[in-house]
Amino acid sequence: MYNKTPGWLPRFASATAEGSMLPEEVGEEEGEEEEEGRKGRRRTGFSINDNVDLLAEILGRLDGRSLGVAGCVCRLWSAVGRKDSVWEAVCHRHAAGGGGATRSVVAALGGYRRLYRLCIGPALDRLAGSDGAGLSLSLSLSLSLFSIDCYERLGGRQQQQQQSASLLFLCKPVDVS
Amino acid sequence: MKRGHQDILHGGGGWYAVAPEMERGKRKTTMGAAEEGGDVDELLAALGYKVRSSEMADVAHKLEQLEMAMVSSAATNDDALLSHLASDTVHYNPSDLITWVDNILSELNAPPPPLPTPQSLPSADAYDLEPLPALPAPATPLVLGSDPQSEVAPSPRDRKRMKVCSSPPSSSTTTDAATSAAAALPVVVVDSQEAGIRLVHALLAGAEAVQQDNLKAADALVKQISLLATSQGGAMRKVAGYFAEALARRIYRPQPRGGVGCCSFDSVAFDDMLHMHFYESCPFLKFAHFTANQAILEAFAGCRRVHVVDFGMRQGMQWPALLQALALRPGGPPSFRLTGIGPPQPDNSDALQEVGWKLAQLAESIRVDFRYRGFVAASLADLEPYMLLDQDADGGGGGKDEEPEVVAVNSVFELHRLLARPGALEKVLGTVRAVRPRIVTVVEQEANHNGGTFQERFTEALHYYSTMFDSLEGGAAAAGADDGGPDQALSEMYLGRQICNVVACEGAERTERHETLAQWRGRMDRAGFEPVPIGSNAFKQASMLLALFAGGDGYRVEEKDGCLTLGWHTRPLIATSAWRVAAPAEDPLSALAAR
Repeated sequence: MYNKTPGWLPRFASATAEGSMLPEEVGEEEGEEEEEGRKGRRRTGFSINDNVDLLAEILGRLDGRSLGVAGCVCRLWSAVGRKDSVWEAVCHRHAAGGGGATRSVVAALGGYRRLYRLCIGPALDRLAGSDGAGLSLSLSLSLSLFSIDCYERLGGRQQQQQQSASLLFLCKPVDVS
Repeated sequence: MKRGHQDILHGGGGWYAVAPEMERGKRKTTMGAAEEGGDVDELLAALGYKVRSSEMADVAHKLEQLEMAMVSSAATNDDALLSHLASDTVHYNPSDLITWVDNILSELNAPPPPLPTPQSLPSADAYDLEPLPALPAPATPLVLGSDPQSEVAPSPRDRKRMKVCSSPPSSSTTTDAATSAAAALPVVVVDSQEAGIRLVHALLAGAEAVQQDNLKAADALVKQISLLATSQGGAMRKVAGYFAEALARRIYRPQPRGGVGCCSFDSVAFDDMLHMHFYESCPFLKFAHFTANQAILEAFAGCRRVHVVDFGMRQGMQWPALLQALALRPGGPPSFRLTGIGPPQPDNSDALQEVGWKLAQLAESIRVDFRYRGFVAASLADLEPYMLLDQDADGGGGGKDEEPEVVAVNSVFELHRLLARPGALEKVLGTVRAVRPRIVTVVEQEANHNGGTFQERFTEALHYYSTMFDSLEGGAAAAGADDGGPDQALSEMYLGRQICNVVACEGAERTERHETLAQWRGRMDRAGFEPVPIGSNAFKQASMLLALFAGGDGYRVEEKDGCLTLGWHTRPLIATSAWRVAAPAEDPLSALAAR
C-alpha cells in the first residue's frame, strides 16, 4: 500500500514532518522517484506514511471538512481518516463536554464519525450560518439527537429497516441564492 | 382613530362629509393598514370617493359590469357609448361611487352580462362589520399571518382597484372580464390586504352567528370565508380553510354521533403518523421532550433505581435521549424502568410492545439496565395506582432490601384531554399522587381553548393556530421553499384536526381543551402539587436546540416563573412545567376527598 503513494506525496509529508526542505533535496527526491518508480526507497527525510499513529494524531487536529478532504488523498489516509479515534478527537474539539463513559456509548450508538456527520457537522454549519449568538454546541445535545436517530433506525421485531428522519431538520438545504 | 372606531360602528348609514376625508386620509397613511373604519372605506376616502365598506364588493361588481359593457361596445365599434360617457358623466358626482356607477349602467340600457349575483352577499352585508364588539385584544389590530402587502402605501393604488391577487381563480383582470364572464366569481377581491381583514371579520362573524344559532347566516359566511381565503397566501389561507371547514362541520352536524370524532380518518395509526411528521418538521415536540428530560434527569440525580411513567407513549421518541443521558451521567446509569400508556389499537397490533422492544434494544446497546411495561388504556382515568407501583415478579422478597425506586410521571399534551369528562382530571392527579413521584413533568399548549362562550373559544383558537401555522411557514421558508412539502402539509393536517375538534365538537367529544399555564398552575395547586423550577440547563439546551432549527429566528424560549415556554415571536405556544407532591399539612387523601 505504501508503494502506491503518488510522487508528490513524500515531499509534502516530509515537509510537514520536518519543516521546510532544501529545494535541491526536493528535486533530487522527485527525480529519484521518477527514475526508480515504485521502489519506495527514501534516502532523505521521514515519511509520515510510515508512522500511522502520528498520521492519526495529525489528522485528528483537523476540522471535519478538512478531514473528509484528507480522506480522499490516498488509501492509507482514507483508512486512517476513518478511524473512530480520529473523529473522536475532532468531535471533542468542536463540542464541549463528555466524560469517560462517552466513548462506549457513542460506539454503541454508531460511532464518532457518524455522530459528526449527522449531528455535529450540520449543527456547526447551521450555527455558523446564523448569528450563533455565542452559543457553543454541547456534546450532550448532539448525543441526544444522535440517540434519537439511532433509535429510529432500529427495526421492530420484524426487523424492518426504518428510515430515520428525526435529523432531517439539521440537513435541510439552506437557500444560498 | 380608535375613538372613532366604536362610533363608526354604531353610527348606522350616513355619508361622511368630504372635508375631513383628506385629513383622515393623511392619518390613514401613517397608521398602518390593519385598522379599518366602519362605514366608509377609508382608503377610497383618501382618494375622494365615498363608498360604504359593506357595499365594496357590490361596487366592484358593478364596475366590472361597466367595464365589460365598455369593452364590448368598443369591440363592436360603437362609439356612441364612449362619447356619451365622455360628455355626460360630468353630471353625476363620481364621489358617490355606487350611485354613479348605477346611473351609468342603467343609462346604457344594455343588459349586463349574466353574472351570477352572489346570494351570500346581501345577507352577509348585515353581518359584515357589525359583530365586532366581541373583538378581543383591544387596541392591537389582528395581526394574522404574514401580510405581504402591509408595506404598500396608498399612492400606488390604481383608479381601477380591481387588482389581480395572488390566487388566480378568485379574481378577474379587466382584460379578461369579457372572455371570462361566465366564470367570474361573484366576489371581486379588491385588495389582498383588505381581503385579509375582511377574512378575519368574516371568520369572527361566522363564530358569532353560530353562537347565536343563526345557522343560515353562518352558512353564508362560511361560503364567503372560503372565497376570501383563496385570495390570501400561505399560512392565512390554510388557517382560514381549516376554520371554515370546522365551522361548516359544526353547522351541518350539530348532533354528536356516538364516538365519531370530527375527522375523516379516525385510526390511531394515522394519528400517530401525523404526530411523527409534526415531530420532525417543527421544534415544539422536541422542545417538550428535551426540557422534560432535563427536569427528570435532575430529579433522578443520585438515585439507583428509577421509574418513568409516560402518559402518552406513542413512538417513544422522548426516551432514547433520556437513556443516553442516564448512561453518561456521573456515577453511571441507574436501573431504569419505563411504563408506557397508550390508547387501544383497532387492528390488534401491539404498538406499545414494539416501542418497548426498540427501547430495550437501544438500552442494551448502551448498557442501561432496562425494564418496560405497556398499558393499554382508553382514558388515563382508567389507571389505578397499583398498576403503576413496583411489582416484582419474584414476589418482592429481594426487592425490600434494595433502594425504593424513584418515580417520575411525564405527560406531553395528554392532561387537557381529561377535562372533557368531569372528575377525570382529579382522579388521574389523585392516582399520580398515590404513586408518590419525585417529579411530574407536564407539557401543555399555552392557550385557553376551554373557557367561556363558543365565540371566545373560536377567537382565541384563531389567534393561536394562526401563530402556529405562521411558525410552520417560517420554518419551511427558512429551510428552502421546496422542502416544505410533505412534512409541513402533514403537520398542518395534524393541527387542522385539533382545530376541527376545538371548533366543531362539544361535550365529551371535544378533547382538545387547552388551558393556559396559569390555569394549570391553579389545578395542580388544588390537587396538592407544588412547582419545581426548571433549571438553567434546560433553558440553555432548549435555546441551543432552537438555534439549530432553520427557521429558528422566530422561535423564542422564555422562562416564566420556573416554567419554560416556547413561542413564535411574542406569542408563547407551549409551556413545560415540573411539579412534585406538596409537603402534606394534613392527610392528603382526605384533603383530596374533601375538595
